[in-house]
Amino acid sequence: MEKRISPPRTLLRGVPMAVWMLLLVLVPLGYTFVTSFFQVEGLQIAAKVTLKNYALFFTDPMYSGILAKSMLLSLAIAVLGVLAGYPLAYLVSFRVRRGRQALFMLSIIPLWVSYLVRIIAWRTILGNKGVINSALVASGLIHEPLTFLLYNRFAIAVTLTYICIPFVFIPVYTALEKIPRNILEASSDLGAGEMRTFVSIVLPLSLPGLVTGFIFAFIIALGDYIIPQQLGGTQGIMFGNLIWSQFGFAFNWPFGAALSFILLAITVTILGLTSRFGSTEGGFIGE
Amino acid sequence: MSSRRKRGIVLKAYGFLVYFFLYLPLLIVLVFSFSPTKTIVGMSGFTLKWYQELFRDGNLMAAFVHTLLIGGAAVGIAIVLGTAGAFFVSRASFPGKSVFRTLVLLPYILPGILMGISILVVIKALGIPLSPLTVLLGHVSFTVPVVMFQIMSRIARMGPNYQSAAMDLGANPVQTFWYVTLPMIRTAIIGAALLAFTVSFDEIVISYFLTGTWMTLPVYIYGMMRYGLSPKVYAISAIILLLSLALIMLMSRYTGRYAEVYRARAPKG
Repeated sequence: MEKRISPPRTLLRGVPMAVWMLLLVLVPLGYTFVTSFFQVEGLQIAAKVTLKNYALFFTDPMYSGILAKSMLLSLAIAVLGVLAGYPLAYLVSFRVRRGRQALFMLSIIPLWVSYLVRIIAWRTILGNKGVINSALVASGLIHEPLTFLLYNRFAIAVTLTYICIPFVFIPVYTALEKIPRNILEASSDLGAGEMRTFVSIVLPLSLPGLVTGFIFAFIIALGDYIIPQQLGGTQGIMFGNLIWSQFGFAFNWPFGAALSFILLAITVTILGLTSRFGSTEGGFIGE
Repeated sequence: MSSRRKRGIVLKAYGFLVYFFLYLPLLIVLVFSFSPTKTIVGMSGFTLKWYQELFRDGNLMAAFVHTLLIGGAAVGIAIVLGTAGAFFVSRASFPGKSVFRTLVLLPYILPGILMGISILVVIKALGIPLSPLTVLLGHVSFTVPVVMFQIMSRIARMGPNYQSAAMDLGANPVQTFWYVTLPMIRTAIIGAALLAFTVSFDEIVISYFLTGTWMTLPVYIYGMMRYGLSPKVYAISAIILLLSLALIMLMSRYTGRYAEVYRARAPKG
């Protein structure tokens, strides 16, 4: 296909967006990358180029250990998100006739309900004097509150899975809706049962949506720092907290910038690898 | 046939469980906000006193107003930039267009911590102190892609023919935009504004890094949570919850494939 470039007048309309992008995306990310090669002297950031921030990350097993653990936990969360979100999307897309629009809304509303409120809700449910413990103690099943519910990786996994379900639902639902229904009829006419039809037709055709949802969930989980802070306790430190702490009490911005860049590299690599395979449309902002 | 039926029931039961998982926590927050005691078991009675206490908390009320201000300003800027950007990306062709599209999406796709930190690093390097303006910058970063992609999908469905027809009939570009394009994307703009406001309203991950002493509501609540979950936290959470729900309900009438249908059905005026 021949490449066409619009006349300058049309291109001029892109200037406001280009300025926005420069000021709020390219310069900040670029300068953070530059900062990751600086170092701290006293309480000042000195613009002396060094590789020691990256060296520290790759040599101290504590840091790479936290990253590995965070990736593993994020993987588990993404799997759980798919296990909850995919069947839900399948149900709404294929099995519901009346009230489909309402169920669709019901599935994505949690996406827009305050992130903080949802964290508060889960702290309330899992806490030592929380809903689950109070109910169990009151019913006489246990005498002491269960302590494994809050301030650990379990609590992080539950809450982040909860956050991720709508992010998985939307791309999967979009993919399922695109499957022409007459293919399913053909499959049924040719004698395939529902299970066979699902495995050989529906699942492969919805795979791009599934991959997109899985990736969204993984990235959301990997970049979060507030949920681990609120529900993770000391054993639930995630990579996001590690970055955060460099900008807080540790006051090592260049090291924090290096860690941020590592997170950026991981995120962009994953998005790049899957963009060919997953569907880019029907994403989470899409209609 | 009966095994198919059975599978259908299992799937529906599973779906019901997922909805239960999604909505029970929200319900619990609502219930707690009316509870005179802090426990849910043996909860007796109903009180509005936590809500009354909210209104007596001057700092919290100020934070609430700040959030509305930031949301309004961020949405206003995002509508102008996002709409212009949507037309630009949809209609202009230039090399590197797909890269441009991806870069626009970055503030929304990337983990919030990255955007918050990178904007913070730059404003600190420039010696700009944290202020309402820095919070606004953060919010403009992620509201613009929200608006742009909403409007882009409307433009894609609209196609270029209406504008060409208007131009052929002698309308100038301004008239074409005002009389043809704008009415057609009006509901998309309203929907996008509501969506962007909802996102801005409870954003914390980016705001956290860019807020000084001038706090938005989520940042203020986050500070309150350090001292445990007080009944006041539940009351303000319940208000946020209901406000978000109202915004989403309103938004769903304006966006999506059903918006045009809604518009056609709506009475004039």
